[in-house]
Amino acid sequence: MDQQGAGGDVEVPAGLGLTAAEYEQLRPTVDAHHRYAVGEGQCSSLLAQRIHAPPAAVWAIVRRFDCPQVYKHFIRSCAVRPDPDAGDALRPGRLREVCVISGLPASTSTERLDHLDDAARVFGFSITGGEHRLRNYRSVTTVSELAGPGICTVVLESYAVDVPDGNTEDDTRLFADTVIRLNLQKLKSVAEASTSSSAPPPPSE
Amino acid sequence: MSMAQVCCDSAVAATAAPVVGAEAEARARARAERRSRAGESGAWKHAVAAGTADATRKRSLGAGELLVARKHGAASVAGRRREMEDAVSVRDAFCAEGTADGGRRDFYGVFDGHGCSHVAEACRDRMHELVAEELAATAADSSVSAAAAWTVAMERSFARMDAEVTSAGGRAAAARSSTCRCDAHRCDHVGSTAVVAVVEEHSVIVANCGDSRAVLCRGDGAPPLPLSSDHKPDRPDELERIESAGGRVIFWEGARVLGVLAMSRAVGDGYLKPYVSSVPEVTVTDRSDGDECLILGSDGLWDVVSNEAACEVARACLRRGRAKWCAEAAALLTKLALARRSSDNVSVVVIDLRRRNH
Repeated sequence: MDQQGAGGDVEVPAGLGLTAAEYEQLRPTVDAHHRYAVGEGQCSSLLAQRIHAPPAAVWAIVRRFDCPQVYKHFIRSCAVRPDPDAGDALRPGRLREVCVISGLPASTSTERLDHLDDAARVFGFSITGGEHRLRNYRSVTTVSELAGPGICTVVLESYAVDVPDGNTEDDTRLFADTVIRLNLQKLKSVAEASTSSSAPPPPSE
Repeated sequence: MSMAQVCCDSAVAATAAPVVGAEAEARARARAERRSRAGESGAWKHAVAAGTADATRKRSLGAGELLVARKHGAASVAGRRREMEDAVSVRDAFCAEGTADGGRRDFYGVFDGHGCSHVAEACRDRMHELVAEELAATAADSSVSAAAAWTVAMERSFARMDAEVTSAGGRAAAARSSTCRCDAHRCDHVGSTAVVAVVEEHSVIVANCGDSRAVLCRGDGAPPLPLSSDHKPDRPDELERIESAGGRVIFWEGARVLGVLAMSRAVGDGYLKPYVSSVPEVTVTDRSDGDECLILGSDGLWDVVSNEAACEVARACLRRGRAKWCAEAAALLTKLALARRSSDNVSVVVIDLRRRNH
């Protein structure tokens, strides 16, 4: 991503689904956490999802490195590798083994927790192994609150990954974006359902 | 290779304990009981629920005429994949109304699930009922040809099946499946192939959605006749349909819709609609006196066994002259697929098409 803006000339990345005003509020987060030094043979992408639920409720789901299936599709099971030093604490360096459902071009994925910042609501992981075609995949998810009428949380998820032999950047982005978009839609559904069951629904959509 | 099961017209012969929960068995018995109470004709059997059907029941039709259940065999095996997500359905005389000449219709289906098992299980449990209902509806309309009527009935049945598995009712049904692991939120990423055959006295009707397959073994050394065409995303007309709808097919361990799914049509998979369609392709084929058998199989079979090889196996079993040759052929085909290191579940149904006077 080589997004650059000068002064009032703000350009919102295509396909993000955010207004210019919304993107302007999120730019510090994008600049701090969603930019990658992408080299030859790699690509990156940024996706956004609006969720009508408090950011704290959304973050509580996103940060579950041990239980991604709460909001991610395609996961059959997930096990965090035991770490005698860490005990139950989720901190950078922890690894999880994800088994993928049938029918997909992947069966397992070994993933490392890179970043977990509860104050800034930043979650990052990378894929370190497994049976799939995503090499050197690293990803960051942030949960931000947008000022304005009604509750509006925006989740941004970005990644960088190698382009596999035989595929184009477009192919790679299409595959990864499809999976992430589905996951973000499920996150919205889960977060809004959990919020609506514990609080009256927000007055505006 | 944790599970293998063979279902045949006279008995269930399990080569390993079938993985059937008590709950699933209770549901199967309840369904059978409801059907017998409702006066529905025909014995009922399928590969997963064992031993509850009277496989050799004869029933009277017309003045003194007796029909014997058409010989068939079915085999399903999990194979190298750890979970069984295939389902097989065999429904003798599944329609209350027979054909115009008073003959009867038998229903056979192979459903290869992906993502979870509950869509394939729903197809096994409901597809024949939907087809029977739609046949009754189209029978009332005499303005269309037989082939067109079959196409309408099958397309409607598949559309209703797809709607059932993607609706809230489908989620409720999934919750009742003993093997389903999906959470309460959408099961949009679960689907199944469906290759369905209806065998009448004079015709074989096949409706297919996905990459399972139906093959007719004609006699006298004739080459096998495919009655379905696999729905792979790179089949030229499928590729064109997907791209016209705004989708893309990329090669990501084979041709996949959006890089995700390796078939271009399926029941379920709501998240990939409209690119992954549930509209079946329907063929109506006249039977010949020399026809030997019909083989339905999932891609776990066809990926490693050619149509020709499958027919040769069936023919060899036929020539041994044993009464249970269909069951033997089905079991042998699953073993052959495993020996050739199929990486998928394997399901096979073999149906004897020889005339009764043989």
